[in-house]
Amino acid sequence: MCIGIVSTGIGNTGSVQRALIRLNLACCLVGNPEELSLVDGVILPGASAAGPAMDSLKAFGLADALQEYRKPFLGLCLGMQLLFEWSEEGDTECLGILKGSVQRLQSPIVPHMGWNRIRERNAKIETREEFYSISDFRFPISACAYFMHSYACYPTDPSIITQTATFCNQQICAAVQYRNFFGLQWHPEKSGTLGDQYLLSFASLCK
Amino acid sequence: MQIVPAIDISNKKVVRLRQGDPTSVTAYGDDPLDFIRSYYEAGYRNLHLVDIDAALGESDLSLQSVVRQCTTQYPELNLQIGGGIRSLPQMQNLFAAGASKLVFGSLLFKDPAIVEEAMLLWGPERIIASLDVREEMVQISGWTEQTAFSIDRALLEVEKMGLSRVLITDIDRDGMACGPNIALYARLMSSFPTVLITASGGVRSSEDLRNLEDAGCSATVVGRAFLERTIPRIPRMPIRIIPCLDVADGRVVKGIGFQNLRDAGDPVECAQNYSSQGADELVFLDITATNENRSTQVDLVSRIADAINIPFTIGGGIRSICDAKELLAAGADKISINSAAVRSPSLIDDIASELGSANLVCAVDVKRVGDTWRVLINGGREDANCDALPWIEEVADRGAGELLITSYDRDGTGEGFDCEFLKEVRARVSIPIIASGGAGSLQNFVDGAAQADALLAASVFHFGTFSIADVKSALSFASYPVRL
Repeated sequence: MCIGIVSTGIGNTGSVQRALIRLNLACCLVGNPEELSLVDGVILPGASAAGPAMDSLKAFGLADALQEYRKPFLGLCLGMQLLFEWSEEGDTECLGILKGSVQRLQSPIVPHMGWNRIRERNAKIETREEFYSISDFRFPISACAYFMHSYACYPTDPSIITQTATFCNQQICAAVQYRNFFGLQWHPEKSGTLGDQYLLSFASLCK
Repeated sequence: MQIVPAIDISNKKVVRLRQGDPTSVTAYGDDPLDFIRSYYEAGYRNLHLVDIDAALGESDLSLQSVVRQCTTQYPELNLQIGGGIRSLPQMQNLFAAGASKLVFGSLLFKDPAIVEEAMLLWGPERIIASLDVREEMVQISGWTEQTAFSIDRALLEVEKMGLSRVLITDIDRDGMACGPNIALYARLMSSFPTVLITASGGVRSSEDLRNLEDAGCSATVVGRAFLERTIPRIPRMPIRIIPCLDVADGRVVKGIGFQNLRDAGDPVECAQNYSSQGADELVFLDITATNENRSTQVDLVSRIADAINIPFTIGGGIRSICDAKELLAAGADKISINSAAVRSPSLIDDIASELGSANLVCAVDVKRVGDTWRVLINGGREDANCDALPWIEEVADRGAGELLITSYDRDGTGEGFDCEFLKEVRARVSIPIIASGGAGSLQNFVDGAAQADALLAASVFHFGTFSIADVKSALSFASYPVRL
């Protein structure tokens, strides 16, 4: 088993790669479609801005390859936002794998930075299970995850939302799943033991 | 869980009644629109408006005009309107004015046919059934009349009608701020899993809200607790406690004001130690960083990232976007810039636009001079010849994701954070603030938490004056949320 980490020269590949190493999960950097086809699952890390991130995915031929990807995919932070059709950040056309948009947070304080409580949503998991389910991973009530973002996802179909968080009185989409595509707005690589558990659960899907 | 502030209007004033008793009124203000604006600005997008006079009998207030004014000014606002709505033309007018949902109480019992007609006309999702409960029995007509329905039977009826949103008010708790009836809501939610229950009545603290959320409530109406400010209108995230580690040539050093530095161990071991003690994140300031030893810094960052599973920031000597990229690629979560930003402010824009604001911390060292604060650079050794407050506003405008404000006067003194300055900063910027410099007692942390999103300290942790757990329990005791 080897998990690929999409690396196109920008973005925060470092902290994700270090986290997988820390958890003894085999991983390698993926920079083109050929390399993508060799791994058993892929993580698209965040930590950049939507425009430059999309430009580099296209330049490396990965935008098309990811749209057709059929193995487990995990987008983190910006990596999840890029799954949607459009982002307000730099007026960027994104991958369009998920219907919906990414918009700047409308709250008195931006970015949403720090540890915040996660709520699991139970609705409509049947559509997910035929593909994958991170079934052994449930967020305990009151548990916190680490967020650092200024933009948030607004899926057209709310039933793809698997977790939410509340920030400045507004509900934020904290996680999505659609078929083989998982996305987290929070950073599992930085969310303590629970983050580690999430990454291990994702790894268990990559065979 | 959605939090819905309630605005009860009687005689054109914003009021709260105790247990629905019209003779026990507290008035909070004359203009409902002022309250609506303040909730809107705090980020709320759902408000619950009730015409108390209409609910009790006759009203000379046209809720319609309040609704229209609100929705013209704030189109994103969802207003749910209740109180004395009895006829279809009234409903039509309120929806036309921009109401997003109407709340029916007595009408459900007195004229169910009209409720069904309204459901057909506007859709069941735009109608909220409101059930007011006293000792498990439903009350109507402003709680002056008891029905023959128990809450369970009433919910069954409401569900049969095809309504899925129900507001349940516990009369004995309402306006009493004595804590919500969590047991009641928990029982009803397990008996009626498909009904979306909004809790109302008795919420008095942030802890009550957490308990309702944990019980599974989809929404809660909050009235008195907001008006009397026992719950902050902008809920706080857990206050982050951040130990700061000064690093020189790859080793942690301790000292005051860069004097008498002594070796305090391996950064990776220190990081693991603080992480297991419950630190929320860590800051490493490389006080000897230069271009020549960048590789030592990069190596240090990757070793830290291998060892801990909480976020950390690296600062010290970062002068270009390349430096920043290299450190992020090595595993740092955020990078902090200070003097380089003062010398070349466009560095902030460049890093923010290419690497994203959220990864960029701008550190500002300040020193008080008379009634103003001045910016210091080069580790506090040099006056940058600029006023701190305008500089901080510029830093935020240029795209910094977070501020690390260090009071040079307080640093190492144990006299407490410079709360006066932090308050000035908070009033001017909308990005998170990390306060630093001066923490000497647990009370200092409690005072700092009122003004900042995160509190950074070095010596009190390094010298073991108290632990991170001590700080968190002091904050928790003072009602600040912390991550445990």
